[in-house]
Amino acid sequence: MASAGCTEMAAAGITLHPACRVRQEGFGLLFYDIRGPRLLFAETGSLLAPDHFESMRSKDDLPAGLTEQQTNVLQNFIVKLLERGFLREQ
Amino acid sequence: MSNRFVEQGLRSPVNLTWEVTLACNLRCRHCLSSSAEPAVNELTTAEALALVEELHQEGVFQINFGGGEPFMRPDFLQIIDACHARGIMTCISTNGTLFTSELVERLSRTSMMAIQVSLDGAKKETCEAIRGKGTYDTALNALELLAQSPIPTSINAVLTTDNADEIQDLQHLANQLGVTLRISRFRPSGRGADNWEALRPTPSQLIDFSAWLSENENIRTGDSFFSLTSQERQGLGLNLCGAAKLTCCVGPTGKVYPCAFLQSDRFEAGDLRENSFKQIWDDSEIFESFRGLRIHSCEDCQRFDQCHGGCPAVAYHLKDDIEGGDPECLERCVTSIADAKAEVVAA
Repeated sequence: MASAGCTEMAAAGITLHPACRVRQEGFGLLFYDIRGPRLLFAETGSLLAPDHFESMRSKDDLPAGLTEQQTNVLQNFIVKLLERGFLREQ
Repeated sequence: MSNRFVEQGLRSPVNLTWEVTLACNLRCRHCLSSSAEPAVNELTTAEALALVEELHQEGVFQINFGGGEPFMRPDFLQIIDACHARGIMTCISTNGTLFTSELVERLSRTSMMAIQVSLDGAKKETCEAIRGKGTYDTALNALELLAQSPIPTSINAVLTTDNADEIQDLQHLANQLGVTLRISRFRPSGRGADNWEALRPTPSQLIDFSAWLSENENIRTGDSFFSLTSQERQGLGLNLCGAAKLTCCVGPTGKVYPCAFLQSDRFEAGDLRENSFKQIWDDSEIFESFRGLRIHSCEDCQRFDQCHGGCPAVAYHLKDDIEGGDPECLERCVTSIADAKAEVVAA
């Protein structure tokens, strides 16, 4: 018997681009892209940890306990990281 | 790039140059470290691997390996494997003489490495006048092998008065090979100091090169040419010296310096056989002085925001004044040509 085809699309996720790295600094997150090399300084404080980007996750998957304003700031920030190639979407 | 965060101080460099050995099978006339024989008491394999682990713990993103010829070190593959196992990206500057298809296959197993092969002229005679007989063909052989691999590869050429007219041809050569072109600045350290007057580009060549760079955004220069960078290239890289702020240099015996062009006792920030890398990065008085370095003599210049006084290493080597401003900045090139013309008219 033929198996049923998978008709469900996997939800798009984001992760750090393989050419990029991120680490915690006092001001927030420091992103590095070997392809430039380029740097991106993100004044995120302690809102996001570097390991947030280590595994595939939804764009909207943010740490619990954020205010609405913090959530908006981080969502916009993630869009910016995608646009600049530090993150990739799959 | 926002410099505010750099001014606040980073917990470790984002990348660093590690000259793993002084051993080299070539005697290039512009060599910044006068490489030839291995240095006395170079770091052992165990010490090198311990340093990789420490740099990983400190969050260093990338190590740029140079020398000397790094592949002259028998344990070099072990060292770069240790970097990649910890997620540290590497870039290797090599003369290409030791490359074989087997070595390229071995290096291709990681996606965390880039390679720069030195080639100092599009013409064989130009390159070999600087690097020695046979170097053109061996470098081309390495580039051809690498071009067939997935390893991001570039030609690295040091701009001199002899090859300044061949930069466009080097770009064509890189395109033909399927690699990129990187141009580095010639600085008067090591054998480069001995051959400075013979090899230094003229002010006119530097101005032409600056204009050419502004039309060729795909050409990489690292942080070599921010002193010449035109408005068009702003945003493509650094516009200030990153020594002791974003980067530093580890020498073959474990001594740490602000940059590869300042590897002398005067600028030794510390010794990894005596202190941890973190202690040196955090507490070195030399590093502290570089972080506070301001080139006040350049502050009134119209291009100050574009270069912040240029390369302190060149100012030190040519004027013995680390705060003296880069003698080869774009503004000074223009001024020196104008002065020369005025002298001719006056005569």
